[in-house]
Amino acid sequence: MSQVPTVELKTEIKNLIMETLGISGITPDEIDDEEPLFGGGNALTLDSVDALEIIMAIQRKYKLRIADQNLARSVIKSINSIAEFLVTEQEKQS
Amino acid sequence: MRKLRGGSQETENSVMIIEDYHHKMAAHCESGSITSLLNHAGMTITEPMVFGISSGIFFGYFHKMKSFAFPTFIVRNKPGQMRKNLHKRTGVRFYSKDFRNIDSGQIALDNLVLSGIPTATQVDMFYLDYVPSWERVHINVHFLVVIGKEDDLYKVSDSYFPNVVDLPVGSMNKARFAQGSMSPKGFLFYPEFVPPSFDYEKAIRKGIKKACFNMLCIPIPFLGIKGIRLFAKKITDWPSMARDTEHLSHEVMKINILLEDQGTGGAGFRFMYATFLQQASEMINKPELKALARELMEIGDGWREFSLFAARIGKNRDLGPDKFKQMSELLYQRADKEEDFFKRLSKTIK
Repeated sequence: MSQVPTVELKTEIKNLIMETLGISGITPDEIDDEEPLFGGGNALTLDSVDALEIIMAIQRKYKLRIADQNLARSVIKSINSIAEFLVTEQEKQS
Repeated sequence: MRKLRGGSQETENSVMIIEDYHHKMAAHCESGSITSLLNHAGMTITEPMVFGISSGIFFGYFHKMKSFAFPTFIVRNKPGQMRKNLHKRTGVRFYSKDFRNIDSGQIALDNLVLSGIPTATQVDMFYLDYVPSWERVHINVHFLVVIGKEDDLYKVSDSYFPNVVDLPVGSMNKARFAQGSMSPKGFLFYPEFVPPSFDYEKAIRKGIKKACFNMLCIPIPFLGIKGIRLFAKKITDWPSMARDTEHLSHEVMKINILLEDQGTGGAGFRFMYATFLQQASEMINKPELKALARELMEIGDGWREFSLFAARIGKNRDLGPDKFKQMSELLYQRADKEEDFFKRLSKTIK
């Protein structure tokens, strides 16, 4: 059974996104874990360019490749989906 | 295999859902639709194998063509070519048709679906109600599979979405008969014959040889590696061809859309071809293909870097000559890498 992503991992992801996109003026706590990162509704509202930036930042930081566009799209839907993907990948590698 | 049934059929209030159709997501809409339809028809084949056998990997740059208002490029073979190549190499035969008007197009699609034949159709993504508004753009060459109809709603298997979705008849008609470059004209297809078996090794080898030929040897200056180099040379002309900064920014952002955002793109197609080489390596017992697959993954990463660079400068309106020179250099690097890769792939498969 998959491990549940930790709060620390989610905060790390939020910081990575904020650093990558040069976002200031909000704290990680203000970003909702479940709300979509695209299309409004979250403290962060991102577009497709941001999505590509985030995918590449995740690939670099966690040393993995998200080759499939559909997978990429579903992974970066929310903080929770990114965290769940990373936990699954870490489990596969260990 | 089931065949097309002629004649029109009363479709109002008719209900048909092809329950045994297995919806799944795919890396690319056309290869995904083909694979899904073939799997439904009883053929065991993966999407990367469809892409590889049909020599889907390609490049073409179109600087000045009547049908395009601004330079554009393709990163895979033209729509329809996958089916033609697949037919030549595996014996699969597809029925396909386009239509002059909406009524005949709808009747044909309804007849097929109501007869229990899952049918792929070409659409403009913009009219697909189930696509979130922020992802909707006018792309006339999207493929989806219609697997049912319930009153005024089609049941759609769109490989970009995790579940089967509904689409009203009116929206489907708009999407199938959208105007503009490469307009779909209601185009539809489905496999009408699937051979019980075929020679995988022969098909794989032919597919790879043709892909190498297309990338290295086509004597046309805007296709294959030559096309990437032409793109590298001509992209510095883009600022003088655009109406204004807004237009230039839009066209530069489209590089990202073509490469990454909609459709599998330069990177994604390279990743899919790499997966094909991995699978082929095992099927024809050629371990060298596995090493080449790893290299192609890195080449795909390079395309993604290029795409991101274009997206960044387009979004920030940072469109000075130095940026176009940088894009040109990145493209020359892609050309060199791909030329080296395909030359070695060609030698490996001889």
